[in-house]
Amino acid sequence: MTRRWKGRARGTLGTRGAAAGPDPEGLALGNPGFPSNRAGACPKQPNPRLLPPPEMPLQVSDYTWQQTKTSVFISVPLRGVSVRDADVFCTENYLKVNFPPFLFEVFLCAPIDDENSKAKIGNDTIIFTLYKKEVAMWETLSLSGVDKEMMQRIREKSILQAQERAKEATEAKAAARREDQKYALNVMMQIEEEERKKIEDMKENERMKATKELEAWKECQRKAEEQKRIHREEKFCEQEKQIEDERKKLKHKSHTRISASRNLATKGRNSENIFLEKLKENSIPAPRSVGSIKINFTPRVFPTALRESQVAEEEEWLHKQAEARRALNTDIPELSDLKEEEKNPEWLKDKGNKLFATENYLAAINAYNLAIRLNNKIPLLYLNRAACHLKLKNLHKAIEDSSKALELLTPPVADNANGRMKAHIRRGTAFCQLELYVEGLQDYEAALKIDPSNEIVQNDAEKIRNIIQGTELKS
Amino acid sequence: MSAFEKPQIISHIQKGLNYTVFDCKWVPCSAKFVTMGNFARGTGVIQLYEIQHGDLKLLREIEKAKPIKCGTFGATSLQQRYLATGDFAGNLHIWNLEAPEIPVYSVKGHKEIINTIDGVGGLGIGEGAPEIVTGSRDGTVKVWDPRQKDDPVANMEPVQGENKRDCWTVAFGNAYNQEERVVCAGYDNGDIKLFDLRNMSLRWETNIKNGVCSLEFDRKDISMNKLVATSLEGKFHVFDMRTQHPTKGFASVSEKAHKSTVWQVRHLPQNRELFLTAGGAGSLHLWKYEYPIQRSKKDSEGVEMGVAGSVSLLQNVTLSTQPISSLDWSPDKRGLCICSSFDQMAERTTLYRSEAAPHLGPL
Repeated sequence: MTRRWKGRARGTLGTRGAAAGPDPEGLALGNPGFPSNRAGACPKQPNPRLLPPPEMPLQVSDYTWQQTKTSVFISVPLRGVSVRDADVFCTENYLKVNFPPFLFEVFLCAPIDDENSKAKIGNDTIIFTLYKKEVAMWETLSLSGVDKEMMQRIREKSILQAQERAKEATEAKAAARREDQKYALNVMMQIEEEERKKIEDMKENERMKATKELEAWKECQRKAEEQKRIHREEKFCEQEKQIEDERKKLKHKSHTRISASRNLATKGRNSENIFLEKLKENSIPAPRSVGSIKINFTPRVFPTALRESQVAEEEEWLHKQAEARRALNTDIPELSDLKEEEKNPEWLKDKGNKLFATENYLAAINAYNLAIRLNNKIPLLYLNRAACHLKLKNLHKAIEDSSKALELLTPPVADNANGRMKAHIRRGTAFCQLELYVEGLQDYEAALKIDPSNEIVQNDAEKIRNIIQGTELKS
Repeated sequence: MSAFEKPQIISHIQKGLNYTVFDCKWVPCSAKFVTMGNFARGTGVIQLYEIQHGDLKLLREIEKAKPIKCGTFGATSLQQRYLATGDFAGNLHIWNLEAPEIPVYSVKGHKEIINTIDGVGGLGIGEGAPEIVTGSRDGTVKVWDPRQKDDPVANMEPVQGENKRDCWTVAFGNAYNQEERVVCAGYDNGDIKLFDLRNMSLRWETNIKNGVCSLEFDRKDISMNKLVATSLEGKFHVFDMRTQHPTKGFASVSEKAHKSTVWQVRHLPQNRELFLTAGGAGSLHLWKYEYPIQRSKKDSEGVEMGVAGSVSLLQNVTLSTQPISSLDWSPDKRGLCICSSFDQMAERTTLYRSEAAPHLGPL
């Protein structure tokens, strides 16, 4: 049932072309409870959604509205403002249109379904078609008895509602997109699966074919072998007989020379052929005479195989070694007291090693010290001195020396792997004895990287790990 | 379907083994093959398999005192089919697989492990005496004649006082008549040396900058045509052996593949332009060599020098995660090959050739 106002046709309300012009006087008069006399009272609070208008917006009061049981139609004149500038904001209880310098807002009497409601902007009016949530006839369009505070609250609530709805909408869209993508992916995968299966089937067929051929060929082979054997045996008997005949004939050669010779010639050729065949089997040349070729190899210092990628590093290492051997620090005053051999770092190193072996660690350290003063570029000296310090529990010195040794043992090549591993192990041990377990573990793991098969190092690394994790007392 | 115009590599049978397998070879004129390796307990093993109805059946297992590194049927006759093997202790044995308790021929050839072995003159291929060549970690390459006991017929050893290098691979070639024969040897320092057995001299040497893992002539029984050398660091070189320049040697083309050591190369017996390389990452690559328009040209001084052709990859497949240590084509069934890898598997794969693939190769 439609309530008609001033004879306005129902049908024309929803269409754009309708309402050639609002009938401000006529319709407005018929609206009871209509807060039309608020022309002067503009909303003081600025609209948070839009930029504040340069001057106070004017309330629009000459709108018209109609209703049926399920919907409400509101018509708002635009008064010449361009369509583009009209901004519509609508929530369940609140409807607002902002078209500067005008503002139209209404606090709806009852909630509407704002998602399905429509607004048609055109022909200098906006026509709203709002669907009521509850089927009822409204007494008034807007709530009565609203004060400023309530208005503000409703406005804010509406804004929040709108934002929430917008968020939900985007989420729903994203979810729908993901679904589509998944579907597309599934279809793709299916297609690829089919392709693969097709190829697999072809390969399977090939396999079956090849197997069958192989079996057939084996059969053939076997039969051929059999036949060949039989044939060979027959031929052998024949040959033997023929040879016997030839021998007999040869004996009678002198008698029937000419005729026999002709016969012999042909028969001879046959036997020759047979002989030749036999000979061929035995015609493999004798083993060749013994000979020997002396060769030289492209020189290579390292015992490992040559790899192109390692060449640069190996060169560097060799260079360093050569330099180290040459470097001699000769301007030390005490040197003049030393014997000739004691000036040789190599000899001093050997001496140090011997002293270490007899557990005379202090003396060994002295020997290494002197050697280092003579030539401080030999990594082995630092390495061995580190071992001595470790035995004497000079842990910091041990760490220092191991580090120096590692520095000198760059670039890392297979040749100095052993030295590097020892340096790591010694430094790791020193760290652990200083209870710096984390650093110690790092060194042990570096050692393991060089030689992963060393069980002692593995076990020690395990122990350290456990100590760090606090699950085991130090042994 | 363009994918099927290229030859496909199809794996037929895979078999897990309970020992480390170093080498595998087809028994000529049969559907059987042998695998050689060592058990975890340190003894050597030879197993003889037959392909029956799409599966491998173990026919015989022979255990020996020392692990066996390599083997060949190259020097035996088709009737006898004796297997020559080299083991970790440097012994060369020739076995009759029907009666394997006592070797037919045995000699302590080298002081260290025999890395590689090759045979020529048997199987009705080529002419001349059957001979076996072995290369060892002691740096020597020795040629043996099964009719001569204890002493090699040729010995390529380092000069006195020279530091020895491991010999990793040997190959016979150029055996087109009774007198001619060459042996090519590859070492771990990248040296390749070509020895002429008729003149007992070093005919050519070069260094390819990476340890040489495998060498093969495309055919042993023709005048030297092509030689493929594979090395560490994923490289291989194809040398054109028809024209030798006095200083520059043989022309070559090289290719990088496999991203790791290329362990083996084998030419297809039925078509010498195709060869298969096996890599350290468990992959097989099938290559085709194309000859250049002119195989030789004159250099600035008017001396003949060779021109290398080009190599193209036809197909590749990954069969395992461990290196494929050995590879052998079946001489009887075209396209059938067997390979073994360090994950203790022996596999039989086949090449599927579609009819669309053109047949080519000169001569």
